[in-house]
Amino acid sequence: MKKLLSLALLGSSLFAEVQTEGYVGLDSQIYSQKDSKHSSSLTLEQQLKLTYEKGDFSSALEVFAQEDYTDISNKKNNDRSFVRINEVYAQYEFEEDRILLGKNIRFWGALEVNNLVDTFNIQDGRNDPTRTDKIGAYNFEYTHYLEESEFSLITKFYEQKRKMSASTYMYSTLQEGENLNNSLDSEKSLYRPNIYLTYNGSLNDEYAIDYAFIYQNGYDSQRYSTKSGSTYTEHVYLVNKFMTYNTLVVDSTLYKIEFAYADVIDDNTVSDYINLGLGVEHTLEHLEDGSEIGLIGEYYYYNTLNDDKLSDIDLAQSFQNDLFLGLRYSLNDVSDSSAVGGIILDTQYNEQNYYVEYESRFFDTFKVKVDARYIEPSTSHNTVFAKQGRQHRFGFNISYHF
Amino acid sequence: MKKVAIASLLFAANLLAISHLEVAKKNDKVMSGFEDAKSTMTMTLINAKGQTRVRTMRSKSLELDGGDKSLMEFLTPADVKGTKFLNYEHALKDDDQWLYLPALKRVKRISSKNKSGAFMGSEFSYEDVSSFNIDKYDYKEEEAPTSTLEGKEVYVVERIPNYKYSGYTKQISYVDTKTFLTLQVDYYDRKKSLLKTSYFSDYKMISEVYRTGKIHMKNFQNSKESILVWQDETIKNGLSSKDFHKRALKK
Repeated sequence: MKKLLSLALLGSSLFAEVQTEGYVGLDSQIYSQKDSKHSSSLTLEQQLKLTYEKGDFSSALEVFAQEDYTDISNKKNNDRSFVRINEVYAQYEFEEDRILLGKNIRFWGALEVNNLVDTFNIQDGRNDPTRTDKIGAYNFEYTHYLEESEFSLITKFYEQKRKMSASTYMYSTLQEGENLNNSLDSEKSLYRPNIYLTYNGSLNDEYAIDYAFIYQNGYDSQRYSTKSGSTYTEHVYLVNKFMTYNTLVVDSTLYKIEFAYADVIDDNTVSDYINLGLGVEHTLEHLEDGSEIGLIGEYYYYNTLNDDKLSDIDLAQSFQNDLFLGLRYSLNDVSDSSAVGGIILDTQYNEQNYYVEYESRFFDTFKVKVDARYIEPSTSHNTVFAKQGRQHRFGFNISYHF
Repeated sequence: MKKVAIASLLFAANLLAISHLEVAKKNDKVMSGFEDAKSTMTMTLINAKGQTRVRTMRSKSLELDGGDKSLMEFLTPADVKGTKFLNYEHALKDDDQWLYLPALKRVKRISSKNKSGAFMGSEFSYEDVSSFNIDKYDYKEEEAPTSTLEGKEVYVVERIPNYKYSGYTKQISYVDTKTFLTLQVDYYDRKKSLLKTSYFSDYKMISEVYRTGKIHMKNFQNSKESILVWQDETIKNGLSSKDFHKRALKK
């Protein structure tokens, strides 16, 4: 009886220290382009995160679920309904070190629109590609902290397969009758560990600089597909990859650079490549009522180093010679409202992607976001956008946060 | 008897006769020595129609000679819960600032000139909520005049921000002649017009150091107000620079 009471007390004390947060949301889009695809989508989303912290120990569990309207109605399924564990990990902070074990999501990068070095997690293929929707990866991390910097050794335990929505979903790259093989093809086992060595820090003397360097030995984040009949198979290959991302602050202007060089180890069809992103972000302050305008310009460059191998189009690289020009207007109101507009110009294949977004909050617990997009695809090359065709889109998202 | 009275008045007047800079130094002295502080902050935003919104944050700061370090974690509204703001303050140059966005797991360096920008949609700017540091301002050498504010005798101290990107051309602070605590500050914008006034109250003496309990900021140009209240504040907790390493953002 005493043991039971002790366990109950321990359980209730643990529960008392568990923090919960999450949201329930409704996401919808209407598209102009139809063909064999649905012309709209309606998705119910739920996310719950539990965190427990005691002294230097902390752990987290984040679960995400979504239900696509077509999957639960009598329409053709989009295959976009699922429950997913985004994160489940435990970490311990020592005086100068940290260890983490479990499944988690990381962010690497400095740019605003396309983070070419943000390669640790893969993006879920069942959702709107314009939003960040990463899948957590199981790994072990050891970090050693220095005064103004830190060094990490990260081992990712296996390479994940990517799930894809059915061809009826607007953003599926599959066409009617096509499907994606449920396997992921590789020369070596998918359980071969990915090793990452990272070093990042800040300089705060004459110039304020944030720097980060990453070396990776393992499976590349870039993948390619082959088609047999109506079935696609996704392939991964091993690389030695060097990446860096840096930000320099000069008054109200941030100068950013991201760079990656990949040396392909075990696949003769894929070339070594370089990937470069340059960015500048300038903030105009002291506007009416404390509002701010951010002016953003970014340029992305991708190039394979061997011409006789798969090209950027074969590899579905959509940021191979692109320019982004954007503007962010923060209203500084009680609802943290902001509007963002921009254009992505593909200077090589003559494509344009225009978008405008507005988001705000009401009753302190509801968040609303609306967006409009227009894509003018290439007429001369079979790019990712060309496969989808010219597209108008209007999106609406509302969520309740707790 | 008259002579004694006149001598007493002159003595009292002489006691009060100190320069703007001297007042600022004494003000700095009574507020310094906290070493580090932890608290929960509640900020109430009031728009011109009187509608209110409440924000809560967990805050900790470290007192350093060259400029304090501070870390704030937003607790409400729920959609920004877990967002953290790390600031390394510098009196005369741009602060070093980072924002942690938990939804993206991203640590983002932010433009450091925005210490004059609005703090969390409030009428406070980052420079308003940072700790008082005498090096941040230029003071007149002459005697600070005295006045009466809500029945209390105060020094009227004029100070000019040294930071070249400050949002203000001038500040007038009203400092209690007995306690040397700031009771009110008037802020003048870049057009030299009165922009806003902050009212300081609910001072608490913690471990022989005065800490501000409440600041009520009124903006006269847009009729908005913001009230910042510190709760459950503790000082001298034994925090060090390690607690303000960038690692603290992702913890």
